[in-house]
Amino acid sequence: MKKFIKKVVIFIIPIFILLFGVSFLADGDSDNIYLKFTSPQQKSLILGTSRAAQGIQPNVFKEILGIDIFNYAFNVNFSPYGKVYYESVLKKHKREKNGIFILTVDPWSISSFNKNPNDMDMFRENDTPIANMNFVNSSPNFEYLFKYFKGHYKNIIIDHSRFLYLHKDGWLDVSGLDMDSIAYNGRIQRTLEPFREIKTNLSQVRLDYLLKTVNYFKKYGEVYIVRLPVYPQMAEIDNKMMPNFEYIISEVIQNSDGYLDMLPASNRYKYIDSNHLHKESGAVVSQEIAEWIKAQRNLK
Amino acid sequence: MLFNSLDFAIFLPIVFVLYWFVVNKNLKQQNILIALASYVFYGWWDWRFLALILFSTLVDYVVGVSLGKEQNLNKRKILLWISILVNLGFLGFFKYYNFFLDNFKSAFTFFGSEINANSLNIILPVGISFYTFQTLSYTIDVYKKRLEPTKDFISFAAFVSFFPQLVAGPIERATNLLPQMLSKRKFEYSEAVDGLRQILWGLFKKIVIADNCATYANLIFNNSADYSGNTLVLGAIFFTFQIYGDFSGYSDIAIGTSRLFGFKLMQNFAFPYFSRDIAEFWRRWHISLSTWFRDYLYIPLGGSRGGTWIKVRNTFIIFIVSGFWHGANWTFVVWGALNALYFLPLLLTKRNRQNLGTVAEGSYLPSIKEFSNVAITFGLTVFAWIFFRADNIGHAISYISGMFSSSLFTIPRHIFGFQGLITIILVAIFVLIEWQGREEQFALSNLESKWKRPLRHAFYYAIIISLIWFSGEEQAFIYFQF
Repeated sequence: MKKFIKKVVIFIIPIFILLFGVSFLADGDSDNIYLKFTSPQQKSLILGTSRAAQGIQPNVFKEILGIDIFNYAFNVNFSPYGKVYYESVLKKHKREKNGIFILTVDPWSISSFNKNPNDMDMFRENDTPIANMNFVNSSPNFEYLFKYFKGHYKNIIIDHSRFLYLHKDGWLDVSGLDMDSIAYNGRIQRTLEPFREIKTNLSQVRLDYLLKTVNYFKKYGEVYIVRLPVYPQMAEIDNKMMPNFEYIISEVIQNSDGYLDMLPASNRYKYIDSNHLHKESGAVVSQEIAEWIKAQRNLK
Repeated sequence: MLFNSLDFAIFLPIVFVLYWFVVNKNLKQQNILIALASYVFYGWWDWRFLALILFSTLVDYVVGVSLGKEQNLNKRKILLWISILVNLGFLGFFKYYNFFLDNFKSAFTFFGSEINANSLNIILPVGISFYTFQTLSYTIDVYKKRLEPTKDFISFAAFVSFFPQLVAGPIERATNLLPQMLSKRKFEYSEAVDGLRQILWGLFKKIVIADNCATYANLIFNNSADYSGNTLVLGAIFFTFQIYGDFSGYSDIAIGTSRLFGFKLMQNFAFPYFSRDIAEFWRRWHISLSTWFRDYLYIPLGGSRGGTWIKVRNTFIIFIVSGFWHGANWTFVVWGALNALYFLPLLLTKRNRQNLGTVAEGSYLPSIKEFSNVAITFGLTVFAWIFFRADNIGHAISYISGMFSSSLFTIPRHIFGFQGLITIILVAIFVLIEWQGREEQFALSNLESKWKRPLRHAFYYAIIISLIWFSGEEQAFIYFQF
């Protein structure tokens, strides 16, 4: 018996060492969200869906405002406002004063795809890493590697995507996509289609959690609400979906330190599809947000 | 709890250490540990259905004890029927209620009258078909006086819920497993090492072969209208390896795990794709279910004794019931009937037992005749699996029509990429390894007598690295749904 256990342990040790070593190699090429869970707790955060994950570049804020801000935005299925995202954000936040918090908003992030938009048991983010991750600040993050890298360990060693790279500051860099008119227009139309078809309802629960998030962050610094630009046809879908969006989130705006609506200027920017800014425009938008925050702070 | 999960990787060593180091001196305590561990294992998935297993265990235990005391034939029959009705009642309700309801509704609508009955939102308890048949075998064997009923409830509960084979078999006979529960187990080094080897091979079958094949089988079956005939053939072959890797992989892990605890379960798969005819295939595929139906259905019906009509009837009954056991869908019924059609000519011409040994026994390569027989049997099996995998009969028919269209002879569309090519190479390597070990209990059995230690260990590490490197997208075990 002892001989058996001894041999098994001796046999297994090299495998553990190998896996442990490989875990340290996981980076922004390995997975779209892994690094979001490996940074330490953050004093300043950017929240929202993939529009923010791809569109807002933290390094620009460092240059203009001199702050380290972490992009903790995911996508429309993982991180709409709600209990799940709120609790994950609490784990990621370092409770220190003078933080800056940019909460991006759009109709999708406060809506539900279900008949009963306030039934939290049916929320789409309930079975995602955002809900299931207990540890969001450890590097390597073994919990994430065990739960979500099954079948993908080779991605740690091989760059798994030519197009996506997640920076250490949480910004999802998308580049290398074919931008010729045929590919570009095809991508725009393909990505518009699902949003035309999805039936959504405003969720009061989500709206309450957005407000709760704002009120929580207010205790630790300045909170800015931003509506990011999207491809003009997508902006039409957004406006049709929730024509009185600004009115709906009016209490959220009132409780914040400022609201910047960039949607009307959507046609000034370049996009990679109907929802997401091209990285060049992302840098411009990030710069405009940072300058706006700077101006807001100077006003005080 | 899934065998290929981190939860199980933690659970198994804990139970193993408790079993051999803490409660090793007391058989009763060992059986209590097995029963508790099995309930934790099952409850990890959904604790609410533990009550179902417990109730089924209680009923069969009480029926067994009563059968031991009762000599009156009529009363014994009543006791047997109580067990059958309870067990099959649960199975019928959870698995077949909606199927029968929908079909009755369709039949009434067809004849011009409507009935109002709503389908229920029923969750199928994992493994219900497996443990139901296992407990039934106990009651029937006690009724037939092939087995003495046990008065040891803990051992009986451990027998019913034994975690390695609880949710997807092998469906153990009480005559084999229960006596092992009732006697002292001894740790045997060689058994434990071979058990670990079997677990490793089972994981390879599941994670590398089945899960990778599933990616392409799902892609092709779910979009079958978009693909040419030759791609559809490839899709059916991918599914053929998926289901074998999935199910026989599970059985290997179950048997290997049992061996770590000193139990010997029956072999469930004996290299079925190397069969030379369908009769041999059915002696090698899901052996525990085939023999269950043979002993508790086919033989009581008269088996192959009697006239031609009886033989035909019994063959169809056993294959169709076996198909229906897999799920409440007409596709499984047709799959069973198709296999009956394959089998009948062999039975009627008395050639169903002509291939009892192993193909190419003692040699490296098969003869041309053996090879062609294996290829034909494999082709028939692949064809039948289309019905098993299809969503419904219409889907199966359109899949087969697409397969045998003129596009069968066109150049296949390149849909698989590099990863697809890797999968095909992995399957080829897998077939070669299975072929070299086809005379053993599983492909890697007794490896120490064939290979030197450095080569053996290098091979184990290669398998482990392939589990990490080539693992496919995680898929649920197919047989959990049965």
